[in-house]
Amino acid sequence: MATLSNRLTVKKNLWPYLLIAPSLFIILLILGFPVFRLITLSFQKFGLEEIISGVPVWLGFENFRELLADPEFWVVLRRTFIFTFGMVAVSIIAGAWLAHLMVRMNSAIRWILNTTLILVWAMPALVGISVWKWMFSYEFSIITSTINRLGFDFAQRNWFTNTFSGFSIIGGIVAWGAVPFITISIYAALTQVPKELLEAAAIDGANPRQIFRAVIFPILLPIYVILISLSIIWDFQVFTQIWIVLDNRPPSEYYTMAIYAFEKSFGLSEYGMGAAIALLMIFSLLGVTWFYIRKMVQIGDSNA
Amino acid sequence: MHKRSSIFANISGVFAIVLMGFPVYWMVSTSLKKREEVISVDPRFLPSSLTLDNYRDAFAREGFATSLRNSIIVVLVTVVISLFLATFASVAIARTKFRGKKSFITSLLIVQMLPLSALIIPLFLLLTKLQLTNKLGGLAITYVAFILPFTIWTLRGFLANIPVDIEEAALVDGCTRTQAYRYVLLPLMAPGLVATAIFAFIQAWNEFLLAYIIMQSQDNLTLPVWLASFTTRTGTDWGPLMAASTVVAIPVVLFFSLIQKRIATGVTSGAVKG
Repeated sequence: MATLSNRLTVKKNLWPYLLIAPSLFIILLILGFPVFRLITLSFQKFGLEEIISGVPVWLGFENFRELLADPEFWVVLRRTFIFTFGMVAVSIIAGAWLAHLMVRMNSAIRWILNTTLILVWAMPALVGISVWKWMFSYEFSIITSTINRLGFDFAQRNWFTNTFSGFSIIGGIVAWGAVPFITISIYAALTQVPKELLEAAAIDGANPRQIFRAVIFPILLPIYVILISLSIIWDFQVFTQIWIVLDNRPPSEYYTMAIYAFEKSFGLSEYGMGAAIALLMIFSLLGVTWFYIRKMVQIGDSNA
Repeated sequence: MHKRSSIFANISGVFAIVLMGFPVYWMVSTSLKKREEVISVDPRFLPSSLTLDNYRDAFAREGFATSLRNSIIVVLVTVVISLFLATFASVAIARTKFRGKKSFITSLLIVQMLPLSALIIPLFLLLTKLQLTNKLGGLAITYVAFILPFTIWTLRGFLANIPVDIEEAALVDGCTRTQAYRYVLLPLMAPGLVATAIFAFIQAWNEFLLAYIIMQSQDNLTLPVWLASFTTRTGTDWGPLMAASTVVAIPVVLFFSLIQKRIATGVTSGAVKG
């Protein structure tokens, strides 16, 4: 058998490299090179002039110096962190709460809830955003009119003049889209806790709380770590929700890192400055999700 | 793990169903309402009568046919190419040993975390330089790059569960290695290929930001960008927008229900068990 295995896994062979070469080429070209270019770009002055001439002006750390000295940058960074924290907290708490209650639901209700969650999960981002925008539209909002019917007087209301209510709605769209994935993942993990373990714990005289702490919680912990990390990664870079809800021209009070970088690059054609913002955005994200990345690298190791 | 149902859990469940389901209901019900009823300052939860006018208006709207065609082309090209390449790469990872494999796998995992809204700047400049903007091929190849890491990783998971012995048996029986892959391994991978194909389909069908930046001319819109075009400086055409949104969502909902289970466990189990 050894020789046969060797025929399948010959070591000094070009086969594996030929097999991964096309994928590697595309990934390096479309993802790898832009990462490298993002770094070089952030040290350059690169605008329309430079796109046409093709000759960038090297600035050293000038873009970063200018950014870090700009009070707006710090406002945007702080806003992005708060907004991300809010969305992650709401979607994880709501998702976990729902998943843990799902095991205690009547099977018909659980089935309908599960179907609803899948339906929401399947909604293309732009479809979901359009519907929410419609629900909170200025003139014909079902939400405003329902509130009015309950006896309040909101008349016609622009929900986005106030940034707090505006960000709450945008965060609501993001959380609404994220909760199904979180709930279903945690629920799947909960139902996969081996019965034998629970029975063994019960036989050994553990009460439900002890069972949760000693058996269920350790199994769920890695799932929570992954879900929280993924939520941070996704929510930190939220772009489309803000962009579409505010009609493709969000006012500066709505700038998050992603929008700020985008406006600098595509709005003002200051691609170098945009790249510097984007790079700082990646660094902030790396800092926050360091734990998760280390875990990913370990998985890569164990697979080799 | 299921316990006796509790009233509190059931009430929460109903509450969650209403809260999560309402936007979907509101989209479909608005799409079936008459125009006067859609743009009413006192909207009703139930349509008084049903009509398909909004669907007719949406289909008649400029750009529907072209953006539908564009979306289908981009999705098909993306799915075929990414699956084809991912099959090869995943066989290499799951079935062979080679130097640099560790770094390849690690970079596959890391690359999936890169924020698109940060990469879009150099990506746009790169595609401009390669003259790939405003070309369906340029958009498709970009999608392939973004989808490949996940598809390779998922297919690798499927392959890891197929015993090597089966291919070895085929080799004993006189197959060449290529034949063993083609006639033995590939059919066994079929369920994995279908699941990843659907995943790639959904990603490419739903994607907005890249298409919005790369495809700027009116003939090159994809469906999500077309949806965004319902809002102009003079306002939004809500009824037809809800009808169009429903139409764009339907294929995804259908495909999604097919692979939902696999994705739910796939994302987390791949990362936990490795």
